[in-house]
Amino acid sequence: MSSKIVNWPLGAVMASVLSVGLPAAAFASEHTPNLSYETVLSGLSDPWDMAFMPDGTMFFTQKCDGLSVLLPDGEVNNLLGMTGSDGYASTADDLFCEGQAGMMGVALDPEFDDNRFLYVYSTSSMAAPGTNRLMRFTVSDDLTAVSDRTDLIEDVPYKPEASDQPFGGPGAHNGGRVRFGPDGYLYLTTGDIHGAEVPQSPTLLGGKVIRIDRDGNAAEGNNAPEGFDPRIYTYGHRNVQGIAFHPETGQPITAEHGPWHSDEITALVPGGNGGWDPRPNMAGRGDCPDGYCGYEPVQMEAMDPAERAEYMPMTDFETYPDAMPPAWDNNGLSQGMSSAAFLTGDQWGAWNGRMVVGLMGIGFGGTPVGQRIDIIDMAEDGLSVHDVTEMPLPMGSGRFRSLVQGPDGNLYAAIDEGDIYRIIPE
Amino acid sequence: MNRAMGFVAGVALMLGASNVQAADISAGEAMYAQACAQCHGRTGRGMASFPSVSGQDAEYIEARLIQYREGEQVGPNSALMIPVAADLSDENITDLSAFIAKTFQ
Ligand code: HEC
Repeated sequence: MSSKIVNWPLGAVMASVLSVGLPAAAFASEHTPNLSYETVLSGLSDPWDMAFMPDGTMFFTQKCDGLSVLLPDGEVNNLLGMTGSDGYASTADDLFCEGQAGMMGVALDPEFDDNRFLYVYSTSSMAAPGTNRLMRFTVSDDLTAVSDRTDLIEDVPYKPEASDQPFGGPGAHNGGRVRFGPDGYLYLTTGDIHGAEVPQSPTLLGGKVIRIDRDGNAAEGNNAPEGFDPRIYTYGHRNVQGIAFHPETGQPITAEHGPWHSDEITALVPGGNGGWDPRPNMAGRGDCPDGYCGYEPVQMEAMDPAERAEYMPMTDFETYPDAMPPAWDNNGLSQGMSSAAFLTGDQWGAWNGRMVVGLMGIGFGGTPVGQRIDIIDMAEDGLSVHDVTEMPLPMGSGRFRSLVQGPDGNLYAAIDEGDIYRIIPE
Repeated sequence: MNRAMGFVAGVALMLGASNVQAADISAGEAMYAQACAQCHGRTGRGMASFPSVSGQDAEYIEARLIQYREGEQVGPNSALMIPVAADLSDENITDLSAFIAKTFQ
């Protein structure tokens, strides 16, 4: 919440100066921390995201239930329910869950103290056949209710019907992370909904990173190509569920779920193309099942991930030579890369300034399950990684859906199994 | 769809009852932790796109696993379950079904 506002060009210069002297001198004496953990909440149903106030008050979403807040004294107030949930202070009947869709990312305004604004992204039935919406609410002073719903973005596409794909049910690929950047703008990550046209479309908001102000207006300098919706910051994505900002340069970095290969970490540039384009009859492909090539050439069976990447790349440099290059592709594997955050503070020792990403892993087609948190040392220019280490987890592993550094400097991790943990470095 | 499931489970109940008695629950437990928990959850409650396997009897689970092993489409995401079931032996299915039914109520 208290991230420094760094002006980018200056940040970039600082970073390159630092990189000359740092590795040997500053980090040599620092150790990796020993980790312990506490269970913050358990027995939740698909917890999806968390957002903190400076005193540790934690807002959290559950995909099919809604928005709640955990107070420092341990009490939970259920604030905003959705179709089928009970026990919430208010209920928005248009919000619903289906497959991967439902209530997803949550963020607090950097000026929350003054304006009490909270932002949440959820699937809604208000406009047929369903859309994903980014909404702003005002949180009451006593943290018992939200009000003044304002739908800032109403039309992020939703997949209403099943198709012949793995995870082919309705509700696939909504992206879903909502975060403020150090530039004061609100970023929303979205997904391709198994829609071949969506990621490269100049107007459909799926398969994008969107950057707006707190009222929903396009941010200055989004720089999307001519004819694009001005709210689009980057396009050509598959399903981005992680976004975090480099603590020194402020650059947004996404963590993206690959198809049966290549999860990607990518440093974004305004107007950039992620290079994902699952359309049939292009880039050497023919027709594809239900018109979507995203899992081709063999969608339902095991195949060498490298061969898949060749045929249906996550970043297609041949078609889009200027596409943003991934800094890391999880060694060519897809293990459900989801959330991303930066660790900052001396308590993290040698990991201070490293990025963490959560992997959800299912182990399809011979790929190791790989449910874990990786600690990534990003190069300052965002174009490569110096090092990737697996975090030695103090608790069991799980489907890591959300990672957030709390105001206490600890790392909070939510797993689909229903737990939120606090990971404490010592 | 539920009605059809009930029918299949009923047939399996008649055919499969003796297998269930011979089940090795601890073998089922080990296999579940290794090959199933990553999708259905450590306590079988299901999560994300993966259905719950709790609250079912062994015959139901067994019938389902056999369907998937045969490559049958059941729900919209059968493609994810079919390759897992393809590798299961009759004995694996018996052990897993007994473990799941007994443990995840
Ligand atoms: C890759 C993820 C994955 C793994 C691993 C997996 N499953 Fe499944 N399973 C699924 C999905 C997805 C479905 C729903 C399929 C559909 O839509 O038909 C399913 C369905 C089922 C069902 C039917 C549930 C119902 O009520 O219809 C059973 C039983 C089941 N799995 C048992 C198992 C067992 C036992 C294992 C371990 C040997 C296992 N699964 C491993 C993904 C998985």
